[in-house]
Amino acid sequence: MSSPFTTLVAVLIFPGLSFILTYGLWCQWVSRKAAARLQNRQGPLHTGWQGILQPLADFIKLLVNEDITPAAADKPVFNYSPIAVFALPLAATFLIPIQSLTNLWGWDPIVSFEGDLILILFLMSVVILAVFLGGWSSGSLFGAVGATRAALMMLAYEIPLGLVAIGPAILAGSLQISKIVDWQVASVNAFFRAPSIQGLAVVGVLFIGVVIYVICLLAELELKPFDISEAETEIVHGWQVEYSGKKLALLNAGHDVKMVLAAALVTSLFLGGPAGPILPPFVWFILKTTFCVLVLTNLSVLFARFRIDQMVSGAWKYLVPLAVLQVMAVVALSGVI
Amino acid sequence: MAMERELLKNAFSKPCTVIYPFEKLEPPEGLRGKHEYDPEKCIGCGLCARICPSFSITLKGGPGPKCTGLLVDLGKCLFCGQCEEICPRDAIWLTTEYELAVINKEDGILDFERTPPPPKTTPKKVE
Amino acid sequence: MSEREFVIPVGPQHPALKEPESFLFTVDGEVVVDVEARIGYNHRGIEKAMESRNYIQNLYITERVCGICSNAHQTAYTGSVEEAGGIEIPERAKYIRVFVQELERLHSHLLWVGVAAHEIGFDTMFYLVWRDRELVMDLLEEISGNRVNYAMPTVGGVRRDLNKDNFMRYHKILDTVAERTNYYIKVASTEKTILERAVGVGYLGKEDMIRLSGCGPNARSSGVPCDIRKLSPYLIYDEIPFEHIYVDNGDVLGQVLVRVLETLEAVKICKWVLDNIPEGEIAVKFNPMQRLPEGEAAYLVEAQRGELIHYTISDGKNMPYRHKIRAPTMANIPSLIERLKGGYIADIPITLAGIDPCFSCTDRMVFYDEGKDKTWSWTEGELSKYRKEWYSK
Ligand code: SF4
Ligand code: SF4
Repeated sequence: MSSPFTTLVAVLIFPGLSFILTYGLWCQWVSRKAAARLQNRQGPLHTGWQGILQPLADFIKLLVNEDITPAAADKPVFNYSPIAVFALPLAATFLIPIQSLTNLWGWDPIVSFEGDLILILFLMSVVILAVFLGGWSSGSLFGAVGATRAALMMLAYEIPLGLVAIGPAILAGSLQISKIVDWQVASVNAFFRAPSIQGLAVVGVLFIGVVIYVICLLAELELKPFDISEAETEIVHGWQVEYSGKKLALLNAGHDVKMVLAAALVTSLFLGGPAGPILPPFVWFILKTTFCVLVLTNLSVLFARFRIDQMVSGAWKYLVPLAVLQVMAVVALSGVI
Repeated sequence: MAMERELLKNAFSKPCTVIYPFEKLEPPEGLRGKHEYDPEKCIGCGLCARICPSFSITLKGGPGPKCTGLLVDLGKCLFCGQCEEICPRDAIWLTTEYELAVINKEDGILDFERTPPPPKTTPKKVE
Repeated sequence: MSEREFVIPVGPQHPALKEPESFLFTVDGEVVVDVEARIGYNHRGIEKAMESRNYIQNLYITERVCGICSNAHQTAYTGSVEEAGGIEIPERAKYIRVFVQELERLHSHLLWVGVAAHEIGFDTMFYLVWRDRELVMDLLEEISGNRVNYAMPTVGGVRRDLNKDNFMRYHKILDTVAERTNYYIKVASTEKTILERAVGVGYLGKEDMIRLSGCGPNARSSGVPCDIRKLSPYLIYDEIPFEHIYVDNGDVLGQVLVRVLETLEAVKICKWVLDNIPEGEIAVKFNPMQRLPEGEAAYLVEAQRGELIHYTISDGKNMPYRHKIRAPTMANIPSLIERLKGGYIADIPITLAGIDPCFSCTDRMVFYDEGKDKTWSWTEGELSKYRKEWYSK
């Protein structure tokens, strides 16, 4: 980023705040519409073409709704945790390479430094802390149960999530996301020029990685089968139960941003980021992330909800060992290539 | 994963939900809906009002030749069709019209007019 | 209560309950230690209302005891009235009653499968099952003129006839329903996430079930053969060839199995009725002002949720002197509580839904003195004494 002006535009408009928010609404619409069609329903329909403005309408409606803070709630924590739930994933998206403003074919992120992958993983864990505090401080039993469940779930999926995210970083020899993207582009080009067995092995190992990663993201996004912390029929929306009005709007927007972040991470770490032939980077970014959202949605309508004990023990029995094995394979491979 | 094939099939077929009010399903013949009334046939016997389990029919002007019509309160009616079944002259029956929502309760009261047969005694008009 | 335990209220308003009823769960962490059920949020005084209406008007009140088992209630009601009045109904009417009753069982069990899927968070299955249930609903609407309250049986027969020209189409619809049901059986038995949530959840053994006198699919899932259609056949059930379904899983999976297998049986019964229905009258005349001779009669019906009892006493007027309804959920609550104990919080919704509860049919009234923490109920004599005092004021 050259001048302060372009930086400002990048942060506030594109590819920063405004773009991410709009894109979050788009992702919500895609996810809702796709889920509906998979279930043979119509989905959003009346606000705009095929209901494309419905997420925005819902957001505005929530802003207008009455905002109630329960008397039993711990007010400061209760009021500020939605902001954290919204702001932390938003900050993390600034580290994702989408599109450079000065160069149509470039994709520098707004901020980029060695180790930004670690920062993203850290930010994603801190969100859960905010979720926990928000639920726990709401003064409702259901909120407290939901908050405990959210924390327990984090114990289960955070470790495999971190482990497999490091896989591409080891191969690229860098913890910087844009470097990882560069490495993927370079190695894909090299592979097409001279296909090799090692190249196929890397693809195979990374495929296992992406499967584990997507499963963990389902838990991170509280989608089925891991929507245990908000389980509507059991604990009435869990940690969010006491939130209403503006705070709930923020929470929902935070969820959308998290969805964008999750799709963007899968794209950047495993699908070659915004790179692609012919079209400019941000178009590829949108195509790839929308595809990720579709996959996540499809998975989330395919299963029944697990119980918390089943999920935690399942994660430690299968996911963690698999993730460790995958990382070991990656390390072994990185010696070969 | 057991349902994936079914889901993909759904995704590429038409949704099964009907976009009511823009699209409507044809009600089957014999659906018990809004009432219809034939003032010519009615003899004002009042049987319909007496049998109605939810007391939603009122005879205007009292039973017999004085009767100047019926008031049917659709808000109370449970669409059993018993009035249709008991009417000796087939003067009241249920149609298949089912869109009966109203804003005011009073709008849901059907007011059926009937001119009483040439009076031997003058019928009293009741407001 | 030890220090680690706390109380979670489920109901009177809770997403897992479709009707208002209160359950207080004492939980230790995620495990349920104790349950206290409180009924009575939805008492409607139906039995009392029936005492001031004639036998024809009461048809439509009994029907509204419950939306899902409306035809079962009407069948039981008309049965008890006909027995008390010594009315013999035509053969064809019996077939039509059975046909509507089994269609109702079909849609009710499919509805239950959908609700159960929803309770374990499997909304996709919920939507799809309900989509396919719509076939049965449309069929019922076409036959009876209404989607939910069919108003088919009347005292002395049935109100509408079946048209022979449509039987081929009915057969086809029933085939589709059976095919879809088989598909859902396949899904439920291969989908890991469903099995995880169903096997061993809410277990209750056969001895406990008999001791707590459950009924309906709830008891049959614990291996108690208690189908009234087999034990004390009414209408034409003794002529119909069908299986007596019961399994001894005792858990939620057992309840699913009993219901889906019964769905298939219901399809078979419907098809049998279509093939064997005799020609003839559909009703004998019953005048609304007609008086019934003095007497009393009880009539047992296997409703979708279990054994349903209607008991009528006539004192020679054209209105019942007393009409008593015992809906199946009432009998299933003790076993439900036993099923819930020792389970996880996450299993509360599915275990609750497992008995297919219908609380508004269940509600009874008792007096409660908050100061003395005492409850009591009144006998008939006390009630009439109270009435006399009230009206003489
Ligand atoms: S509508 Fe029929 S039953 Fe009612 S008053 Fe007229 S003739 Fe009698
Ligand atoms: S349909 Fe039934 S409830 Fe409605 S007016 Fe006629 S008798 Fe009364």
